[in-house]
Amino acid sequence: MHAAGTRRQEHIGDPVSEGAPLSREKLQGIFNDIQADARYDHELNGCLNCGICTATCPAAHYYDFSPREIVQLLWTENLEGVYDAMQEKIWACAQCYTCAARCPFKNSPGSLIMIMREVAIKHGMQSAKDVLRPFSRVMLKLISTGNQLSPDMINADHFADWGPNISKIDAPLKLLRQAIPMPTLNTMQTAWEVNLKTSVELYTIWEMTGVLKQLETIDENLFDVISDIMDEKREDYEDWREAQEGEPA
Amino acid sequence: MNDPTGTPHLTGHGPEWKDPKLTSIEARAATAWVEAKVDRATLTGKERVEDVRDLMWQLEKDGEIVVHRIRDEHEPVHTKTLYGWVKRIPTTQLWHHKSCGQCGNIPGYPTSLLWLMNQLGTAYLDETDQTSCTAWNYHGSGIGNLESLACVFLRNFHQAYVSAKAQGLPDGHYYPLVHCGTSFGNYKEVRAYLLRSPELREKVKKVLGKLGRLVDGKLLIPEEVVHYSEWLHVMAGRIRAIQTIDVSHLRTVIHPACHVYKMVPEDVIYDDKVLDGNRVAVSTGLMQVLGAQVIDYSTWYDCCGFGFRHIISEREFTRSFAIDRKVKVAAEEARADVMIGHDTGCITTLDKNQWIGKAAGKTAEMPIVADCQFAAIACGAHPYKIAQLHWHASPVEKLLTQMGIDWEKTKAEFEAYLEEVKAGRGEHLYDPRRAVTSGPGFRKPVTV
Repeated sequence: MHAAGTRRQEHIGDPVSEGAPLSREKLQGIFNDIQADARYDHELNGCLNCGICTATCPAAHYYDFSPREIVQLLWTENLEGVYDAMQEKIWACAQCYTCAARCPFKNSPGSLIMIMREVAIKHGMQSAKDVLRPFSRVMLKLISTGNQLSPDMINADHFADWGPNISKIDAPLKLLRQAIPMPTLNTMQTAWEVNLKTSVELYTIWEMTGVLKQLETIDENLFDVISDIMDEKREDYEDWREAQEGEPA
Repeated sequence: MNDPTGTPHLTGHGPEWKDPKLTSIEARAATAWVEAKVDRATLTGKERVEDVRDLMWQLEKDGEIVVHRIRDEHEPVHTKTLYGWVKRIPTTQLWHHKSCGQCGNIPGYPTSLLWLMNQLGTAYLDETDQTSCTAWNYHGSGIGNLESLACVFLRNFHQAYVSAKAQGLPDGHYYPLVHCGTSFGNYKEVRAYLLRSPELREKVKKVLGKLGRLVDGKLLIPEEVVHYSEWLHVMAGRIRAIQTIDVSHLRTVIHPACHVYKMVPEDVIYDDKVLDGNRVAVSTGLMQVLGAQVIDYSTWYDCCGFGFRHIISEREFTRSFAIDRKVKVAAEEARADVMIGHDTGCITTLDKNQWIGKAAGKTAEMPIVADCQFAAIACGAHPYKIAQLHWHASPVEKLLTQMGIDWEKTKAEFEAYLEEVKAGRGEHLYDPRRAVTSGPGFRKPVTV
């Protein structure tokens, strides 16, 4: 039996996880957040279970993961199944969009998974906290500078499987970076030189669009560290602006 | 599952779903048809495809947005996309929108592009007032949202629009050229949502208004989002004209990047002269024009394994996929001399993971370079000073030898050049004073 005007089941199937059961209200709240995303209706148009998405999915080669399953769970509004998939499966997706390119219905399982990841973060799911812990170094860099990674992050300590030498020429990293013939790239702590004004502008974007709130939900310590760094940067920028006002035109 | 009335109903992959328990051979047979033929029809056999540019022009007409136009002064070249729609590619006065992965990991990627532009007399600006698109982080972590991605996109592109002021030139002088494939795909996806959603536009307008990043109080939307590989594609003939090294004996395979052609596929350039129009034309077309052999291979459609999150925190997936599904196939099936890519994460993944492959007894090796690096070297760029091949872990030395270049000699030249750099006599592709256009560090307008 379906509730009027929806494909949602009145009765939810057997629990698929062994965790403590969640109230229907909680499950429904999570699903409603997914469904309320502006992209949802555009990225989910129907599903005949053809499986073309899973057959070409790189993550399906290696993980217990199937984009077809994710689409089916959403399409049939299987609240518990959706919640269960958000514990681990959604993090297997490699975001290549092969599924989207090939789906005859023009669904985008990869985009739907991004909505589910955002909602997992919004609800502070432990799975999201666990999965994102290794990301803290990257997020610190990105949110505080505007660059996702920097040359000094690429070293054998963090990328041991890339071999002992990041460069085939044995010279200090700083010198090798200075030898790059683009002046903006003669940097160590950012991939390119990012103007102070630029990173302050980006921080305003993070603040006003709720990204800092997401970060606080997932990792409060990291949020505090980034807030301190950015407060200082803002002060530096304001000092510079005041100094400019004092200069003759 | 039956409901209380006893009526069975479909719940998709719900509780009544049963694992068919196929053997691996049966599972392979069941899905092999999917991989057997991937061509243009796979992408075009869909309904409800709209050209969002129609919405864009209407919104401009209605006075709601301003379109950053590609003007005659940008000397555009017309191309055809998947459905035969025209996409205009500007060829000069370009604002380089850099890639964090390229600049951080494999800097010879952008330097080769700028070097080619110098050789061809292309005007450009490379400046510090820009951020990453933030989409790598978003696709990996889920931190971010449509609104933040849209704000970052339009902030960066607004800066491209006003950047020429620092040189005393009018707004819109430079047109943005996007280096990263993920930025390219993400920006196009976000642009479509901005054009479709008044609510999103309203939210973004509020943020950009606070930053002073509106034009006449309106959002600035680019006429086209242009990837550097598209610039290379339309410049291929002019690049061929300055080519100095014969590459006709080289067997190349192309790794087309997922975010370049699987995201917003209707915007991607296809050309009937390039593998019968069944592959994205960029990179493949360039290799053909340069005279190299382009070899097809069965896993051309696969991703590289980068995974956004996986490259950072589930590296076993990344390196296994990169080696088993791409490098090994290119080496053993296609017997390729080099794999050519056109995106940041792919080049990094396919290149850097070859070292660990050896530890696992996977001996397949393959030089991995970007299309612009290959083209620049073929046109005489220094393999280390310009193409910066020392950052590559794959056996690029083998490729240089095949191109008739003494890699030991050129490497020694670069090592000697490092002494010059140490002494403060390093060379740059452009006047460094042009790199700061406002904010701290900006001094005075510099004449182009």
